[in-house]
Amino acid sequence: MSLDFGFIYTAFLGLFSALPNTLIITVVSVLAGLVIGIITALARIYKVPVLSQISHGYVTFIRGTPMLMHLLLIYFSLPLLIDAGAKHFGWPLQSKDVPYMVFALISFSITSGAYMSEVVRSGIQSVNKGQIEAAYAVGMTTWQVLRRIVFPQAFVVSLPNLTNSVIGMLHGSTLAFTVSVTEIQAQAEILASTNWKYLEVYIAAALLFWGLTVLIERISGLVEKKINVFNGGRAS
Amino acid sequence: MSREFNIDYVFSFIPKMLSYLHITLFIVASSLVLGLIIGLLVALPRMYNIPFLKRVSQVYVSFFRGTPILIQLFLVYYGLPELLKLVDINSSRWDVLWFAVATYALNSGAFISEIIRSGVEAVDRGQIEAAQSVGMSGYQTFTRIIMPQALAVVVPVFSNLVIGNLKDTSLAFTIGAMEMTGKSQTLGSATQHFVETYIALSLIYLVISLILQKLFKVLENTLLRHEHRDAVQKEPEKRKSFVVRYLRSPRLSKGGKGI
Repeated sequence: MSLDFGFIYTAFLGLFSALPNTLIITVVSVLAGLVIGIITALARIYKVPVLSQISHGYVTFIRGTPMLMHLLLIYFSLPLLIDAGAKHFGWPLQSKDVPYMVFALISFSITSGAYMSEVVRSGIQSVNKGQIEAAYAVGMTTWQVLRRIVFPQAFVVSLPNLTNSVIGMLHGSTLAFTVSVTEIQAQAEILASTNWKYLEVYIAAALLFWGLTVLIERISGLVEKKINVFNGGRAS
Repeated sequence: MSREFNIDYVFSFIPKMLSYLHITLFIVASSLVLGLIIGLLVALPRMYNIPFLKRVSQVYVSFFRGTPILIQLFLVYYGLPELLKLVDINSSRWDVLWFAVATYALNSGAFISEIIRSGVEAVDRGQIEAAQSVGMSGYQTFTRIIMPQALAVVVPVFSNLVIGNLKDTSLAFTIGAMEMTGKSQTLGSATQHFVETYIALSLIYLVISLILQKLFKVLENTLLRHEHRDAVQKEPEKRKSFVVRYLRSPRLSKGGKGI
């Protein structure tokens, strides 16, 4: 086997230029997903008439289809909608002005939202009902109950799931290469085909992702220890 | 970029893609069977605390859980032929499908080994001691005491893994495997009706996922009959939370997969 070890190192450095895009995709989709997730989860928990059915359908659809489908659907259908809108309402926006990155971010946020919704829901439902009743009994408003009693405890319970979702989105960001966003996977393809050293480049990419994943797991482990202080410091 | 939306195409595409369904399902099924074998082999050194092998299996699991499946696909696609060359096997004429199967099997193996481990660990130690004290052999203890309970605990996680694998197969087209997504690519570029192709494909994936989910739910209920009977008789709240705790165990979830 002829493996060029020196090139693995070179490729590793070359991949760093694409790291910001990967991180942007991960962070934006996780944060936007959290917002979507909290809204849909609350709609379902409080059984808000129409919203809860919509949320349920949304979560079922997204979780039942591959992330690649969401990306390709958004990538091919949003431009049609934008151009139709531009034609009918005279929007100044044309689909060709929208960077590919925007389509990736929108689609990944929608994907992450559905998974976050389940994370948030299981977290909130793990909070003891008696505590919520007690909080109401001392005269807190619903918002106060959520903010002071439910969210802090729910966060502790859902941190491991949250970490998994973050890692999932980090790994999912590799799909963005299908819509020509230069993240690590796309950069790897470019490096591999220009240097004709495919195996070396993908080993480097794998090592980079592996490192990032382990790093996220470590950070989450530290945070878990910190926020579990009220539990006597043990992991829940 | 693509032509105007026409719903008729969605319906005409569905049967065309369904004719490739068996390849998608073949990848899922074969990766699960091979993954079970790998998973068992990888879980054993860690459960029995075998010095060197334990480390190897830890690294294996960490690597396959810590890297995206897409990268793994390319690694196997370019790396396996090189490894095979070392033992004088020429893989250049092999169908790419086998590389996809190999990747998904290696990937599932890592997750399945974790599932097996946590399933076995979920069984109360006292029960194993009790089984041995009434004279059961190691094999009997495993098949009669550990297995039935471990199975019940891991079914929901396993169900997630299977559905995750189904969705992951959509990436096999990147190395040129011709399954449903690969077919959708050719359909899309031939007709220029991309939106319709992906709607049709999403619907197929959705229906299969829902069917799988239902099947596993039935299986879970069957395996958990004893829990439910107990739950009605005494302390329902605590009983339930015991099971739920294991099911939500963070180490079990699919992590970077299944999205």
